[in-house]
Amino acid sequence: MFPTPIQKASPAARIGYQVLLPVALMIWLIPLIGVAVTSLRPASDLAAGNYFGIPSGLAFENYAAVFRDSPIGWYILNSFKVTVPTVIGAVALSCLTGFALAVYGFRANLWVFFAFVAGNFIPFQILMVPVRDMTLRAGMYDTTLGLVLFHIAFQTGFCTLFMRNFIKGLPFALIESARVEGVSEWRIFRHIVLPLMRPAIAALSVLVFTFVWNDYFWATVLVQGQHAMPVTAGLYSLNGQWVAAWHLVSAGSIVAALPPVLMFFLMQRHFIAGLTLGATKG
Amino acid sequence: MAEVSLSKVTKEFGAVSVIKGIDLQIADGEFCVFVGPSGCGKSTLLRMVAGLEEISSGALRIGGRDMTQVGPSDRGVAMVFQSYALYPHMTVAENIGFGLRMTGHDKAEIAKRTSAAAKMLQLDHLLDRKPGQLSGGQRQRVAIGRAIVRNPDVFLFDEPLSNLDAALRVQMRGEISRLHQDLGATMIYVTHDQVEAMTMADKIVVLSAGHIEQVGSPLELYHRPRNLFVAGFIGSPKMNFLTVEARPAPGGAEVTLPGGAVVTLAGQIAVAGQMTLGLRPEHASATGVGDAVLEGTVKLAEHLGSETLFFVALSDGSEIAVKADGLASERPGDRMRVGVPARACHLFDAAGQALINGDLTR
Ligand SMILES: Nc1ncnc2c1ncn2[C@@H]1O[C@H](COP(=O)(O)OP(=O)(O)OP(=O)(O)O)[C@@H](O)[C@H]1O
Ligand SMILES: [Mg+2]
Repeated sequence: MFPTPIQKASPAARIGYQVLLPVALMIWLIPLIGVAVTSLRPASDLAAGNYFGIPSGLAFENYAAVFRDSPIGWYILNSFKVTVPTVIGAVALSCLTGFALAVYGFRANLWVFFAFVAGNFIPFQILMVPVRDMTLRAGMYDTTLGLVLFHIAFQTGFCTLFMRNFIKGLPFALIESARVEGVSEWRIFRHIVLPLMRPAIAALSVLVFTFVWNDYFWATVLVQGQHAMPVTAGLYSLNGQWVAAWHLVSAGSIVAALPPVLMFFLMQRHFIAGLTLGATKG
Repeated sequence: MAEVSLSKVTKEFGAVSVIKGIDLQIADGEFCVFVGPSGCGKSTLLRMVAGLEEISSGALRIGGRDMTQVGPSDRGVAMVFQSYALYPHMTVAENIGFGLRMTGHDKAEIAKRTSAAAKMLQLDHLLDRKPGQLSGGQRQRVAIGRAIVRNPDVFLFDEPLSNLDAALRVQMRGEISRLHQDLGATMIYVTHDQVEAMTMADKIVVLSAGHIEQVGSPLELYHRPRNLFVAGFIGSPKMNFLTVEARPAPGGAEVTLPGGAVVTLAGQIAVAGQMTLGLRPEHASATGVGDAVLEGTVKLAEHLGSETLFFVALSDGSEIAVKADGLASERPGDRMRVGVPARACHLFDAAGQALINGDLTR
């Protein structure tokens, strides 16, 4: 059976729910709140050892300092230069691979699909050295292009899994119907499948955007210089040479976290259910 | 000209043989209906004509051209799917015009043909709606509209009316028949509905387990079923089957009915033995009029208003359905004398092949 809606549960359960939910929410949000509070803490608090107490004042100048003392604007630009092409590349590629794997029953179909899926299970840390060597030899070490290509290659596996399953879920009769109407395969993809994939594309874009934007590991492995450094790795430079400037790092982190959030709200109107309503008898 | 001809067509899904050698000629402009029980391969056969399923062996010709290896987009056929398969993100007008747009017709031509098709199917006022905002019957008409704008030589329908309510089904049946008269195109129509098959078809193909049982006009199949399967499948309510003893006699075949009555059928049989006698409920007489009489007890009476259907248990335990006047007053438990007219009786041998057909058109 379905669980009883909480509004109809017993009073005890209702009160428990109303108490526990905010508590759970608080626990879950503590790290985020901590960072937010620290980002507004004056440097003197940290020097005095007041890490977790009430801040002695609100230091909005931390944010100004971040932009003044570090090339964070430049880092953010680098992040965009890495993330946007990766999202476009990975999503576009996986639309095509997903379509091919979902629609055509060629002989090696399942094996190719397994290869895409299996790629996701390889712990990426073990690839660190070979990937670094490869990028180095290809002359793409320390460039955004190197990062982009690597991210696309790594994201496409999961994206293909996602897209293939989504397209499998579309009514296949739509494709057959278009075929009988004399429509070429490319146009079927372009005019029938692609418009119906809008929610999947939006969801995957947000996912990949967030994932690549937040990547720290590969940013430090494949990039050294400031010219190509994304913001996640760049934030580290906010620390002074001898002291950790937690207030600045926190402020920088908050700034760096904004684009994925923005991305989510931008894409939100595309997360629509029931796009295939009316295709079949229903 | 678009006659469709299949010769020795087979289909295997892996090791499973689904279509087992079909030979069939469908003339240009003919309305051909495939009927058969669920899973007998009707949809598969239709999809093979459309090019959506590969033909495992055999040949398919449409309009004289060998189409066996040709892809679905080049066969010049239009198909209305069992699920309508409307493009959900396009309006009705876009749905209807999509095929034309994709195959390079100019805008004016598309608009002209779309509105002509919409008018024909009374969709004019719905052209701007999305499929999600239409009723089942309207969706169905859009699916047909999408097929007719392309002026195909051959139309394929896969149970297009199966999800509509009874009234709408009657109406759409009429509309498809009218469409056929107006367009004069070849149509192949899959259904498992008796009435659709009988009323719409020029030619009915009865399929069972992947092979053809019989091909013929509706009345031909009704009056001269070739075997037990066709006899039992065509006609509603279903034909009664009685196990009888039959032997050759001077005046024809002498048949001993359950209960001992004897009836002589016009027609020759070679040997005596246990056989099956077929008699349609509408030809049995509830008032005992006929060449022989079966005595029994009414088990169930279904009053349909215009007629009454009696299920009568005979002395040997077998049951026979009898269609009677709507005012017939017998009740369950009453004795009934069922009249058997000899000229309406079919006789089938032990293998189920018809030996004598009770063809009333003779
Ligand atoms: N892709 C497939 N793989 C294996 N077997 C299949 C496949 N498609 C159909 N079949 C089998 O082929 C047989 C015929 O199927 P088909 O869909 O043609 O039946 P049908 O006569 O249209 O039945 P219905 O009246 O229920 O629509 C069935 O036994 C079905 O299980
Ligand atoms: Mg079917």
